[in-house]
Amino acid sequence: MEIQQFQEKLLHSARNAGFDEAEVYFEKSSSFQVMVFEGEIDSYETSEEGGVGLRGLYDGKMGYAYTEKIEDDSIPFLIDSAKANAEVLDEDDGADIFAGSDRYIEHSSYNEALDSVPIPDKIDFLKEVEQKTRDYDPRILALNYCVLQDFSSEKALTNSKGLSLHDRSNGLIVFVSAVAKDGEEMKTGASVRLTRDFQSLDADAIAKEAAEEALAQLGETTVPSKQYPVILRHDAAASLLAAFTPIFSAEEAQKGQSLLNGKVGDVIGAEHVTLIDDPFHKDSLFGGTFDGEGVATRETVLIAGGVLETLLHNRKTAKKEGMNSTGHGSKASYKGTLTVSPHSLYVAPGVKTEMEMIAGVPEGILVTGLSGLHSGTNPISGEFSLAASGFFIQDGKISVPVKQMTIAGNFFDFLKSIDTVGSDLKFVPGGCGSPSLKVSSLSVTVE
Amino acid sequence: MLKQSTIEKVLEAALSTGGDFSEVFVEDKFVNSIELQSSKIEKSMSGRDFGIGIRIFSGLQCVYTYTSDFSEASLIAAAKRAALAIKGGGSGILQPLKRELLTPIHTITQLPNSVEHARKAAVMKKANEIVRSYDTRIQQAGIRYLDEVQNVLIANSEGTLAEDQRVHSRLVIQATAAEGNEMQSGFYGPGAHAGFEFIENLDLNHYAGEAARIAVTKLGAAPCPSGKFPVIIDNEFGGVIFHEACGHGLEATSVAKNNSVFANRIGEKVAPDIVTYIDDGTLPNEWGSLTIDDEGEKTRKNVLIENGILKGYLIDKFNARRMNVEATGSSRRESYRFNPTSRMTNTYIAPGRSTPEEIIAATENGIYAKYMGGGQVNPATGDYNFAVEEAYVVKDGKIAHPVRGATLIGNGAKTLQKVDMVGNNLAHGAGMCGSVSGSLHVNVGQPMLRVSEITVGGTKGES
Repeated sequence: MEIQQFQEKLLHSARNAGFDEAEVYFEKSSSFQVMVFEGEIDSYETSEEGGVGLRGLYDGKMGYAYTEKIEDDSIPFLIDSAKANAEVLDEDDGADIFAGSDRYIEHSSYNEALDSVPIPDKIDFLKEVEQKTRDYDPRILALNYCVLQDFSSEKALTNSKGLSLHDRSNGLIVFVSAVAKDGEEMKTGASVRLTRDFQSLDADAIAKEAAEEALAQLGETTVPSKQYPVILRHDAAASLLAAFTPIFSAEEAQKGQSLLNGKVGDVIGAEHVTLIDDPFHKDSLFGGTFDGEGVATRETVLIAGGVLETLLHNRKTAKKEGMNSTGHGSKASYKGTLTVSPHSLYVAPGVKTEMEMIAGVPEGILVTGLSGLHSGTNPISGEFSLAASGFFIQDGKISVPVKQMTIAGNFFDFLKSIDTVGSDLKFVPGGCGSPSLKVSSLSVTVE
Repeated sequence: MLKQSTIEKVLEAALSTGGDFSEVFVEDKFVNSIELQSSKIEKSMSGRDFGIGIRIFSGLQCVYTYTSDFSEASLIAAAKRAALAIKGGGSGILQPLKRELLTPIHTITQLPNSVEHARKAAVMKKANEIVRSYDTRIQQAGIRYLDEVQNVLIANSEGTLAEDQRVHSRLVIQATAAEGNEMQSGFYGPGAHAGFEFIENLDLNHYAGEAARIAVTKLGAAPCPSGKFPVIIDNEFGGVIFHEACGHGLEATSVAKNNSVFANRIGEKVAPDIVTYIDDGTLPNEWGSLTIDDEGEKTRKNVLIENGILKGYLIDKFNARRMNVEATGSSRRESYRFNPTSRMTNTYIAPGRSTPEEIIAATENGIYAKYMGGGQVNPATGDYNFAVEEAYVVKDGKIAHPVRGATLIGNGAKTLQKVDMVGNNLAHGAGMCGSVSGSLHVNVGQPMLRVSEITVGGTKGES
């Protein structure tokens, strides 16, 4: 069935069923993914998917339902479910259907040229990356991941208040992970690229990065467990930030689940820490011109010079504090209920390069990888304890790779103890970005 | 869910470029989730997930495509488009489809979508009250109710045609305790391959009480010392550590490409005699159980390690080709969006002889990990790290005091070698396992056991 027709039918049925206001959110995407192993296609996937979410005010309360089966049959299911879901709510939660912002910033997150790259070109490129990684050094045993993935998606929001919005985006991700082996010792090293410009990808650079990362970690040594000055390389810093994004949500704060509740205007970070959410950043694949409620998005400064300027709001959380939404109403997809999340959150870069930062450390640790982020971080208390890989720094130089480490601390203390912000801002696939960050002291345990 | 004639046409179209195996997976899933926060039902969502996955093999080449468009013409077109990636020898022939009549081994008495939301909300409110009345320092309770009814149809060119209904119910209880500037949380999430009868019969006093107790216990707990210690890991969810650090290394996903420390080691001694490790998808109504896997194979009890000897792996149809062995009923996928592969179901360490009291009494200076948090492992190397939700210092054979911020760090294969006591109190815990074919219901399990030495990462520094 044509989606526009389905949207109209659904809005009409919702009104007839007693909904005061209703909104239909539609998403559709196609994607392609290929994995290569030893010169052959190891997996090849294509997809077309989509769905429709209904959100409607029934008896003053907001009911939700979604379907991926877009046919007439699904309309009674959506209406009945949304009604039942509204009825079970304990009270009017303050959510509403939005009539629209005055102005939407024009920005395209879509590059038509990317959608027309032939599939064989993408496969050949990935095979080239694999070959170059394996050929880089005899100690490179294999690649445990060699993946290229791209997507092209569109979303549309239509509601009973006459708002009708549409957006498109696309992007491509290359991820390779090389396994290096020397004697009994095995180490992995990864390289990742996010882009909307296929021509900008450089197979030699990707291969070199993954291989060198794996090789550099061979010959691991143990160093004493203690407090060290620690540099988190850009990717490690960005993934740590990503794990703690819930602390900036006004929704979490209002529930008493963020320690930043009531801290707007307070100093929460070192003075050179500036944190920005930018739905239009050129290096991130995430963002868009409107949020999950149809509010226009814009750049938001969360922390300026160490001071917390604002939390992230949707219309409901903003109303509670007598302010306007910051455009961070979010739905994970047509399946999600409305919540709050950033688009592309990043730490604004400073001036020092990674090498200059290392040069300033007499004895310390450079962390190049973190794992266990979903389990080893607690956004409520701010505590983190994470497996880390990286290097020992001695006399301003990288000396040796360190055996598996755990770094532990508290994110709120971490923000205050950042003493250097690097110039090397990069984004990770989850949508967060950071330059390398140095803190004066962090607990490091070495196996 | 789809006409048999349509399925046959799609399977045939998928073989049109010379593939030697084709498969259709149809999924029609109904889900409900309800959330309680600040003592109020705040969110409630229902949905219908629907789509079709088509898979084609040609030797060691695999192509996967999926779509939510269910018209016969577009499914045939999707199958043909996917088949373009195959350059096969043309040996694939469609065998006549034989519908298999399955006897469901997991009895469901109350289908969740036939139960009114009000009854679900009543259980959640009761859990909320138990958490809140536990201690004055409890500041917040979050209760999440989830149910799913997943209908699947699986057909392949070898003649398999099977339909199955999987029903899952879960209650996730989160407690937040606060004192001064400190906030701590506790969590418990019981779940089963069962209907609303499971939720209604849950011992809420136990589960909600434990979530609250964990949060309060962590308040004011001393920072965990770091260093090398004997570690006692309690039963039930404690099994997550071997799930991550050994279970993933026994999946064909890692083994077939030699990316696992357990590859090519069948028959070798990989653990002490007291360790037997099993994956069993047939346990009645357990969270990780299935009647058939996502390739239509019956699930079974797979003994992976028996008395320390490596006996087998978890194998799906595709990796079975690479490894030249039979599949083990272990192929799983989150949904039609995922190409299935070998995954765990209910994985556990079989019970031993020691009592929990004996294990603690035999430990002079160690760490007792009562509830494990999640963790992560690098499957290529087996290196892992795990957060411990609730931990204690053990001194002179007695549990001394709680500590927080404990992390266990090590290598799966090495930790396995160091298991020196296995208890007699096997229990299973429900979790979600995320890996290549998506996020799946799995049980982890074990009795209480002790590892003679694990590196513990804490915030206190070396002791």
